[in-house]
Amino acid sequence: MPGDAYDTGKDVPTFRAYLIAIVRDSTGKVIKVHKQRSRSPTANFIGLLLPLTWFNYTGSSITITNINGGTCSYKPGMGSGPQDIAYPNSAYNHPTYLAMIQVGSGSQSNPSSATKLAAPIPNGSSSGQLIYGSVSIPDTVSVSGSSAYFYISQAYNNQSGATITITEVGIVLQLQLAIYNNTGSTNCGQVLVWYDVLSSSISIPNGGTLVIYYTFTVNP
Amino acid sequence: MVTPDLASEEDIAKLIIPDDLPNDEPSFKAYIEAKVYDKEGHLIQYHRQPMRSLTQYFLALMSIPIVGTYQGLSTNQAPGILVNVLGLPSQQYSYLTASYNSANILWGWSIRLGSGSQAFSVSLTGLAAPIANGTGTGELYYGALSVSYTSTSIIAMITVTNYSTSAISVTEIGLFANVYIQYQNSSNAYAYNTYSFLLSYDTFSTPISVPSNGLAAFQITLTFTG
Repeated sequence: MPGDAYDTGKDVPTFRAYLIAIVRDSTGKVIKVHKQRSRSPTANFIGLLLPLTWFNYTGSSITITNINGGTCSYKPGMGSGPQDIAYPNSAYNHPTYLAMIQVGSGSQSNPSSATKLAAPIPNGSSSGQLIYGSVSIPDTVSVSGSSAYFYISQAYNNQSGATITITEVGIVLQLQLAIYNNTGSTNCGQVLVWYDVLSSSISIPNGGTLVIYYTFTVNP
Repeated sequence: MVTPDLASEEDIAKLIIPDDLPNDEPSFKAYIEAKVYDKEGHLIQYHRQPMRSLTQYFLALMSIPIVGTYQGLSTNQAPGILVNVLGLPSQQYSYLTASYNSANILWGWSIRLGSGSQAFSVSLTGLAAPIANGTGTGELYYGALSVSYTSTSIIAMITVTNYSTSAISVTEIGLFANVYIQYQNSSNAYAYNTYSFLLSYDTFSTPISVPSNGLAAFQITLTFTG
């Protein structure tokens, strides 16, 4: 190898994601704050982030697997043939939106290949369930010096009658593809795009609430 | 762990960007590599350095697979991050009088090279001194971008050839995105709008010199460690 070859060995990450959970008891008092590095975009996320260049270069499509095990083929392109991610418009809409930050009581060892939570906790007030509040999405990117970030969040209420413990968290996107002139569309369903096993479990007492924040930042 | 009660939402907001957590491996790594070949095809320079400078536009683009393109199930408006950061329309007008109309979004990437340098900011939009595509003096001939990926990485690479009579020094590199929104216009015809962004900007720790009739391959690797 020529003499200029080198590896700095001091890689500075330019992107980071964090998972923050705040638990309150039934009186509203904060009883736990959990912070950890979030590590795991899933293969679904990587596939959806791929540029058109890859699809044109390879002529291939990717397979998106939803949380129910269903699949759809994704091969974006220009013109009237390909189905791309739908965009809000004044005619016919196929909403693609943040469905939920799902919480669960299981775990799995290979987050990037995960397509669903190992043991998702259902939405509800029965035993073993949490009431899922609405998700909050960002209006903008917040900038501080050379850093920038945005975050999403969701609140949960435990009315199950007993303590509920969560050990895994995932971001679920409702994905719909459409041809620009609406001559074809595909509802890919709810797709897991991010997944984390908690570094320590989080218990939400009966009557208590949980709020989860996912923060994504560059140049932290 | 039981923590003291938080006084206000401001306290909670401070948690949104926690201090770096110690003893934790980075969850994301990015590299820039350059390989330079002389006119005989011999490798004469290899350079590898960490990428350091993602822009706010990268953050906004990567929000699409997370937040989506709609505010919600019944709100046919784009999320504010796409409107306020990328300048995309909150709603793309599409031809109203026919049912065969909708709109969609997709994006391509490109790598561009330059011979200048500038201070980084997250709102940077271009290179300081872009090297034009061509065969004349001071120009490089850009090949097509190639992209590959694994379940945790995306790799983009471009090859440039120096057909000029002098060596060309490359000192900066940018990863760009072209975002396309396709729709049916008021004449009921296919149309699309293009929005261009700088996703990352880096200067080389040492310049990359491409000799006359030589070529160079520049590669950007984005890796999520999973």
